[in-house]
Amino acid sequence: MIPQALFRNFLYLLRGAEFTLLLSALSIMLSTVIGAIAALLHAFSPAPIRVLVELYLFLVRGIPLLILLFAMYYMLPYAGIDLNPSAGGILVIGIYYGAFMSQVLRAAILSLPKSQWDAARGLGMRLPLTLQIVIFPQAFRIAAPPFVNTCMQLVKSTSLVSIIGLWELTMAGREAVERTLAPFQIFAGVALIYFCICFSLASYGRYLEKRMQYVH
Amino acid sequence: MSIEALPEPAAPLIEIRGLTKRFGSNEVLRQVSLTIAKGQTVAVIGPSGSGKTTMLRCINLLEEFEGGEIIFDGEPIGYSVLSDGRRRRLPERDIAASRSNIGIVFQSFNLFPHMTVLRNITAAPVRVKGIDRATAERTARDLLARIGLSDKADEHPIRLSGGQQQRVAIARALAMQPKLMLFDEVTSALDPELVGEVLAVVKQLAEDGMTMVLVTHEMQFARDVADTIVFMAEGQIVEHGPPETIFAYPQSERLRVFLRRYHEAYLL
Repeated sequence: MIPQALFRNFLYLLRGAEFTLLLSALSIMLSTVIGAIAALLHAFSPAPIRVLVELYLFLVRGIPLLILLFAMYYMLPYAGIDLNPSAGGILVIGIYYGAFMSQVLRAAILSLPKSQWDAARGLGMRLPLTLQIVIFPQAFRIAAPPFVNTCMQLVKSTSLVSIIGLWELTMAGREAVERTLAPFQIFAGVALIYFCICFSLASYGRYLEKRMQYVH
Repeated sequence: MSIEALPEPAAPLIEIRGLTKRFGSNEVLRQVSLTIAKGQTVAVIGPSGSGKTTMLRCINLLEEFEGGEIIFDGEPIGYSVLSDGRRRRLPERDIAASRSNIGIVFQSFNLFPHMTVLRNITAAPVRVKGIDRATAERTARDLLARIGLSDKADEHPIRLSGGQQQRVAIARALAMQPKLMLFDEVTSALDPELVGEVLAVVKQLAEDGMTMVLVTHEMQFARDVADTIVFMAEGQIVEHGPPETIFAYPQSERLRVFLRRYHEAYLL
C-alpha cells in the first residue's frame, strides 16, 4: 500500500524541514558562542562573575525549554519587549542550549591534564595563548562527541517552537494532518525527516572524531 | 640556613634566599637557600617528598611561594616587595617573561599531542618570543639533529618512544634559548633501556656549559655530570658539595641513610 497522504504532502514537509534546519543552524551557532563564553567565565573568571554564570546555568537547566518559550512569547510583551517569534525562538533556544554547551566545553577544558598547562606556562605562554594553541585544540577533540549529541537534542527541541506559532517541520506536519486526517502517515514522515537530520549530524560527528585523531 | 653551592668568584645566575612553600598546613620548603653560578650543573637528590620537585617548580614560578625570594640574573622574579614589606605576586606578563628564560623539562614529557614534533619545538619561540617561523624551524631542525631525531620532525609525539619524547621535550625547552635549564626527574618515567639516550643529551648540555638544575634519582649520573650535589630532606637542604665529597664522605646521618638505602635497592 502506498502512503498517498504522505506522498502528496512530502514536499510540504520538506519545506518545513528547511526552516527547521535554518532555525537549528542559527541556534547551534548562538548556543555555541554563549556556551564558549560561559565556559571560559566559569573556568577562569573571579568569584563574583563565576557566581553569576552558575546562576544562569542552574536557572536555565532547571526550567523546561517550553516554559522559557512561553515566557518569551507571553511575558516579554508585558515588559515592553516585543520580539518577533523567529528571533525570539532562536534566542531562547540559544540561551537554553548555551548552558548545556558550556558544560560540554568546560568539562573538556578541565579534563585536560594539568601537565599540559604546566608545559605551556613553563615555555612562557600566557593564558590567552595557552588557551588558543594548547588547550582549545585538544578540548575541541574531547568535546566533539558530546557537542554533536547536544546539537542533535537541539534539533529535536526546535519542534517546540511550533507551539508559539512558528512554522517549521512539526507545524507543517500538524497542518498536513489537519488536511489529510492521516496522522500516522504524516507523523511517520515527520519523524523520518528528523531522524535523517540527526543521523547526518551523528555521522558528521563520527567523521570529525576520526579526522581529529592525532594519528591516522 | 644559607648555602653557597659554588665559591666565589663565579657570577651567580640564580640566588634562592629563604624559600618557604606551604601546601595548606604542610610546609614543604623550609627556608631553602641556594646560589647557582653561570655554567654550573647542580644535581638535587633526596628521598621522595623532600621538596626537590617543588623547589624546581618554584624556581620556574609554576608554584607560588609564601616566603623568601628568587633572584634570577640580578633581578627578583615572581614577587615584588611593597613599601610596607608585604609581598605581591607580579602580573602574569612579568612571570611569563621570567619563565621564557628558564627552561623546564618534566618527568612525564608533557609534549603537546596535537602538534607535530617540529611545531612542539617552534610554537613558543614563534608565539612567545616573536621569532619568525623560518628561523624557528631552522633552529628546531638543528636541535633535532643534535638529539638525533631529525627524521621525526613531522611525526606526532604519540608515534615516539618515551626516550624520544623526552629528548624532544628537552629540545623544545632549549629552543627558547633559556639561560637556565631545570630537569625534573626526566628519566623516572622511562623504561630502563631508554634512560641512557636522555642522559646523554643532558650530559652534552652540561659539557656545553648550560647552567642546569637536575632533580634526579640517578646517583651515578649525578656523580658523573654535576659539579655540585644538593641533598634535600624534609623541605631543607641538608648537605651540599662536590659529588666526590657528598658520596664518599656524607656528613649527616640522613644522607648516610639515604645513600645506604639507595645502594641496597640498587644492589637488589
